[in-house]
Amino acid sequence: MPYYQTWEEFARAAEKLYLTDPMKVRVVLKYRHCDGNLCIKVTDDAVCLQYKTDQAQDVKKIEKLHGKLMRLMVSKESGAMETD
Amino acid sequence: MVLLENDSFLTELTRLFQKCRTSGSVAITLKKYDGRTKPVPRKGYPENYEPADNKCLLRASDGKKKISTVAYSNLLRAHMDGLKKKDKKSKGKKTKATQ
Repeated sequence: MPYYQTWEEFARAAEKLYLTDPMKVRVVLKYRHCDGNLCIKVTDDAVCLQYKTDQAQDVKKIEKLHGKLMRLMVSKESGAMETD
Repeated sequence: MVLLENDSFLTELTRLFQKCRTSGSVAITLKKYDGRTKPVPRKGYPENYEPADNKCLLRASDGKKKISTVAYSNLLRAHMDGLKKKDKKSKGKKTKATQ
């Protein structure tokens, strides 16, 4: 289970993996305040991609990717969303 | 596994984060959800469920307590906002190490 060294590579691989089979892929976020780190995992139970960080600046990037994947999951064909 | 409404889920999630400040981890899982409420039927049996394309399942756990919710497209923004406030506040370990 490899931990990616660069955020760029991880983000690209994660999105690519999700697009191959949206129904199979799940995203897991594990946060440990006592150790001060956050780990994100994207897997389809065959391939597993992981990224770990203790930098606050990475939190925003992880947040964005997480939100992006969420949006992909709930977007319909027409692309309509956030109808608040 | 407790299934909650979106607002209660956010509240409970905040509580989970607060509980785990001194020890333990909070795991959040996100997965696309197609609206099934029954297990996949055996071969030859009709599968009748209404396919939905705009939902996803959100689960959270601290190792002991588990909560979950179904999020629709218009509630995602709210969720991400709730999460961001918690994380930014508590992750002050190493900010901008690479000035």
